Amino acid sequence: MDRIDGTNSKTLYDYANPEIDVLLKHSVRTQLESLLKTSISVEQRLVVLQQSFVEAMTLVLSEITAPHTQLVKTFENMYDQAVLSMAVAGLSQEQLTHQYISATGLIMSPYNCKHTIKDIYRIKGYARGLDKAIQGKLKNKPSINVLYPACGPFAPLLLPLLSYYKETQTYKPSQIQVTLVDIQPGAILTLKQLVSDLQLEEYISLIEEADASIFEPENAIDLLVLEAMQHGFTKEGQLSIAKHLVKYLSIDGWMIPQNVSVKGMMVVGETEFNQQWKTQEFSHSSNVANEAQQDRVELGEILKINKSTLLEMQELELEGGIKVIPANQIVLPKGVEDMSKRIFAVYAHIETFAQEEVGQYDSGITHPRPDNSVYIDLKPKDIEHTHFVASSGDTIQFYYQLTGLPGFVPVKL
Amino acid sequence: MNKYAVFTGSCLSATAIEYLDQAGLLACVVLPDSDANPDLLQLQQWLEQKQITMLKYNKKDDKPLIMQLDRMGVECGVIYLFRHKIKTTLIQYFQEHLVNIHPSPLPDYRGPQPIYWQLRNGESSTKLTLHKVNEELDCGDIGCEVEIDIHPFETNKCLHQKMAQALPYLVSQFVQTEQSGGAVWRPQEQGASLKAAPQIIHSDLLVDWRQHSAREIANMARAGNTDVACALFQYRQSVFQLLQATPVECNLVGVKAGTVVQLDKNAGLVVKTDDCAVRLDIIGAQQGVFDGYRFALLFSLEPGMELCCGANYESRVI
Repeated sequence: MDRIDGTNSKTLYDYANPEIDVLLKHSVRTQLESLLKTSISVEQRLVVLQQSFVEAMTLVLSEITAPHTQLVKTFENMYDQAVLSMAVAGLSQEQLTHQYISATGLIMSPYNCKHTIKDIYRIKGYARGLDKAIQGKLKNKPSINVLYPACGPFAPLLLPLLSYYKETQTYKPSQIQVTLVDIQPGAILTLKQLVSDLQLEEYISLIEEADASIFEPENAIDLLVLEAMQHGFTKEGQLSIAKHLVKYLSIDGWMIPQNVSVKGMMVVGETEFNQQWKTQEFSHSSNVANEAQQDRVELGEILKINKSTLLEMQELELEGGIKVIPANQIVLPKGVEDMSKRIFAVYAHIETFAQEEVGQYDSGITHPRPDNSVYIDLKPKDIEHTHFVASSGDTIQFYYQLTGLPGFVPVKL
Repeated sequence: MNKYAVFTGSCLSATAIEYLDQAGLLACVVLPDSDANPDLLQLQQWLEQKQITMLKYNKKDDKPLIMQLDRMGVECGVIYLFRHKIKTTLIQYFQEHLVNIHPSPLPDYRGPQPIYWQLRNGESSTKLTLHKVNEELDCGDIGCEVEIDIHPFETNKCLHQKMAQALPYLVSQFVQTEQSGGAVWRPQEQGASLKAAPQIIHSDLLVDWRQHSAREIANMARAGNTDVACALFQYRQSVFQLLQATPVECNLVGVKAGTVVQLDKNAGLVVKTDDCAVRLDIIGAQQGVFDGYRFALLFSLEPGMELCCGANYESRVI
């Protein structure tokens, strides 16, 4: 192994010793310290990075369910390695931390987005679904175009999968061509670095810095990968992006996820969000407690999102330029004794493809979201215009607001 | 020639005291009956160095003071930044020769906090107004006044200092007018629509993102900058000081007031208001003073989060 020698710039260059912003350095200190202590070479770092991505995918694509602890360790390793690529990309602090609300939703900073690659069961559900969808598409076509808008700095739903395909030679670059789009300049810099580090350039047709809600792809899309959302289907511009890009899907193109079902429920906060998880090691749909599930008062589906519903969606423009989409109506059940003590909550169930899914509590994006502005059978002390007050037996029409902070707006009929 | 007693508890009156002293018109300085504070202590020290006679006001009994003033032959008095409402006996002693200088364009902003409320209301100019003292606070006839511009960045202390610089001019104008035959006094306008300057209470200081406009929030911060009347906002369970804020344009619709809409090293920490948005430039915390960007990163405040949710669910229902 070469020795680090201050007089030899070529030797220095060969070692992974990135000049990085102080904030990123703070959050990845451990990884950087270990990297510098072992004087790992650039070549070695790339090998470890590629291995970490392949290992994570090998575990989630396997038919044998890996233990949670093993998954955590593997995904942590993938995260650590990806963050080192981010460090090497040399983002400025401005590029790293810029976060804002755009006209169509929250734009997360690359600094905050970097954790998505550790969201094990989101990536598992998507990777398994995508794998099946790609397999299905390639049965009938020699090559497919995949679009991944608002993919963040690591494009975590595709880059690990592509690394796995490359390593196992499952699919060649000539079969899969991916377009990665993100609005954050810092995400684009990181993506370019990571794609290069993973040696996936041949799979990537374009990395574009653009607002996904207005991006116009040049070719018809076979698979559209949609991920930009937070729990309760709120905050991020998922629906605006989906609604815009679904038009560019080829006639037989698929959206991944194939179906998103957003449901409402009335829960006892303590039971749903505290008691249910007291004895569980981690939150996951397989760990929900029967008692808590039975205690819920399900209100039904508020919104269904898939290719056909997206194509049919009609926008309404309200005063002040607020655009909304009419969603479903629900009837609040009568005879629930403790209704006034319950909290309204929204949760999403994501079917990525062919029975592969991200269930409630599997991921941040499917975690039920309590909405404290909704009051059923009780009145707030100081009523504000943002409060929604209704009674058992009322029919409620939901609208989805397509604004800077998207989310559901209930209206009493 | 009549000599003046100056009633004050602040070094900000030093310019007027110095003018009167140099003009040979100063009899004494009457200090307030209150606990020692740095400003008062500094004033006392300065007066000692200058060998100026100091008398003490007794808020329970002003007779000893009247006797002292009488013994010194003082017939005129000027009040500026004095904490007490002058009693009728003392007013009567001066026989209409007791004047107060109030830092506002009277009859607007009568009350104990004129500078704070003028800044808070975004006034672009003010006046130092000299008026006769009567039983009603800040209501006596006006003798003379001087207009002062308010810079849009000026804080409470800036404006106090600016007022202090204008003070000798106002006093000299008054003294000269009195010496040349007496000032022309005009009664103050009365009415319910006048702007007031009441004592500041805690709830005045709390930023209400849903009620206050961006400009009002910026003015609140400016009016209370590094003062006891500092603007306050709540985040999670803690209260922070807002020392400086700037209105910024924001065209986002459907975003609740109080929501953080931007965090950027250059653009800073921007919060939606009902009319547009406001950048939180400087924030005071127990841990130190930070710009909005650093505060947000240290205290995990991110775009998309709301600042106005304080009370928990249970406490908000009947």
